[in-house]
Amino acid sequence: MTYRTASIIAYIVFFAVVLALPLVLNSFWTNRVAIYLVYSICAIGISMSWGYAGILSLGQGLFFGMGAYMLAMSLTLAVPENNPVPQLMLLNMEPNAVRDLCCVTTGSFLWIPFRSIAVGMIAGIVVPCVLAAGIGYVMFKRRTTGVYVSIITLAFALIGQLLIINNQPLTGGFNGLADLALLEIGGFEFDPYGPSAYYAVALTLIAVILLARYMLTGRIGQVLKAIREDEARARYLGYDVENYKLFIFCVSAGVAGLAGMLFTLTSEFATPSLMATSLSISMVIWAATGGRASLLGACIGALIVNFVGSLASESATFQPVWPIILGLLFVVVVLFMPNGIAGIFKAFIDRPGKAERLGGAKLAGKTERSDKAELLVKSELSAREA
Amino acid sequence: METFVIGLSIASILFMVALGLAIIYGTMNVINLAHGEMVMIGAYTTVLATKHLGLNIYLCLPLAFLVTATFGLIIERTVVRRLYGRLLDTLLATWGIALILQQLIRIHFGLGLFGIEIDGLGSDLQNVPVPAELQQAIQLFGANIPVYRAFVFVTALALGAITWLVMYKTRFGSQLRAVSVARNTAAACGINDKRVNMLAFAYGSGLAGIAGVLVSGFKTVSPDMGTPYVVDAFLVVVAGGVGHLLGTFASAGILGEVQSFVATWANDVYGRTVLFAVVIFILLFKPQGLFVTKSR
Repeated sequence: MTYRTASIIAYIVFFAVVLALPLVLNSFWTNRVAIYLVYSICAIGISMSWGYAGILSLGQGLFFGMGAYMLAMSLTLAVPENNPVPQLMLLNMEPNAVRDLCCVTTGSFLWIPFRSIAVGMIAGIVVPCVLAAGIGYVMFKRRTTGVYVSIITLAFALIGQLLIINNQPLTGGFNGLADLALLEIGGFEFDPYGPSAYYAVALTLIAVILLARYMLTGRIGQVLKAIREDEARARYLGYDVENYKLFIFCVSAGVAGLAGMLFTLTSEFATPSLMATSLSISMVIWAATGGRASLLGACIGALIVNFVGSLASESATFQPVWPIILGLLFVVVVLFMPNGIAGIFKAFIDRPGKAERLGGAKLAGKTERSDKAELLVKSELSAREA
Repeated sequence: METFVIGLSIASILFMVALGLAIIYGTMNVINLAHGEMVMIGAYTTVLATKHLGLNIYLCLPLAFLVTATFGLIIERTVVRRLYGRLLDTLLATWGIALILQQLIRIHFGLGLFGIEIDGLGSDLQNVPVPAELQQAIQLFGANIPVYRAFVFVTALALGAITWLVMYKTRFGSQLRAVSVARNTAAACGINDKRVNMLAFAYGSGLAGIAGVLVSGFKTVSPDMGTPYVVDAFLVVVAGGVGHLLGTFASAGILGEVQSFVATWANDVYGRTVLFAVVIFILLFKPQGLFVTKSR
């Protein structure tokens, strides 16, 4: 079995399991797993920009949070009591302000388009993309690279979080937006605890994986890998490095925004904590655990870390130890398995013993020595590729 | 004037944290996100020493330096040592260490699991008693200046001076500078670069520990207090120019004052927002930082 066949089988098994899960789960766990799948989508976003293009964004939470807020704003306005003006604004307005969305609090007119659910849903992807385009344009045109990109995106996420907390009359401040209406499209209601929301998340996840895989196994993916390995050389070969980076950075932000919207759908709230540094860095760790350059790996990494995490936080003995285990996981993954679970899977499929047997049969005419040399070169190459 | 003095004390703390980070990042090219936890451990050392040993805050300064330097040494030996040359990975691994250290404080180094609790640890907020002479205020140019803020400022200056002496007047300092400019050449000339790494990491951590002692005097101490410091300090380091003592000093000063003035004029949140915005602009238009180390 080649690695390619094995990974196709892995994808199919994963999709089948994801689609079959609601049949065996109760409503509580359906909701939990739906949220983990949302985190998986975040991890895919990280894997696209970090794993393929080497852009480590520590501000992914900003885009995630933006997506969540966009949909949450629409769903806030969908609650009857929040018309014409959301409760949170009534609590924070000046005593004699006009009770209309145009001017009840400073900037409240920004909410007006969100009366339409469709606008909220489109904005959930478009706003993070546009924001990322702005940040990315300035960063990449100035040829900011490596760790500076991480720090700048981290700083942007912190600014976003602070601004949202600070503008309480507009954003609900520290408490964020809660008590949302259920999302309803064409008379069909998405119940966060039922299979409807679950399948919305699961199908989005599968679509994102397939589209990302289609995109990244093609030309774009190859160029991005080239940029990751040696930016100067890729530029010298005539590729427009900045635009490629900008493109994948925006796509990854859009994916995070999409995940944010699905988070609102399944959790029914949006708070500034979604933009916290710790969540942004956690996303990177999910992707790293699963395998940074593998879309499916990143996905599974997010699922496993979150699932074990929530199991641990339910047991009284493990709850205090879990952050330590998580911390150790960071260290162990980085030190000993830089390619994560996907790397282990790949090593298992391509394990030397088997290759030797196969190779021995195919290359009967060659000496054992040249076989070994070839294997060495092969493993060296695959290690480099990974 | 009061704003200026508050700015100076913010800048002093930033400077002490950033100095350690600058040495670590400049010499070893390691991003130590557990550096904020060194501040936290320094603060907890103060809490424990004042509670259980009856030490005052002055004696805590060298004690916290030793404790955090030891922690730094252990981290370098066990984890960071294996990650040289993998910049982004050091960032992730040290974040993991930071999580572990925070949680260790929360669960009383694991003793909490067995029902043993140490007074001064745990997830609660802690306060440190400040000696009476530091609680007063002095009049200077018609402004009230809290003595404690002045004490922080003087300590930071003294540490800056000591670090300068260490870096430029000792054998270790010249080895350190040699390693940070050209590691392999330095190693070929007979400098034990592994040892230099180890000591530099410990020294940098120790500086953060001292900053922790000083922070504990005017802020409540909690397990997650360190995280904001490491982000701010890192911004200071990159804005000032990596591996440049004077750059770190100047950018800590500028950023501390900017934060303080905007915070007084608007509020704390805008203070921090403007701080980040300034750093982003510096990085975008002067990616090498304000001061560039000449290299050949």
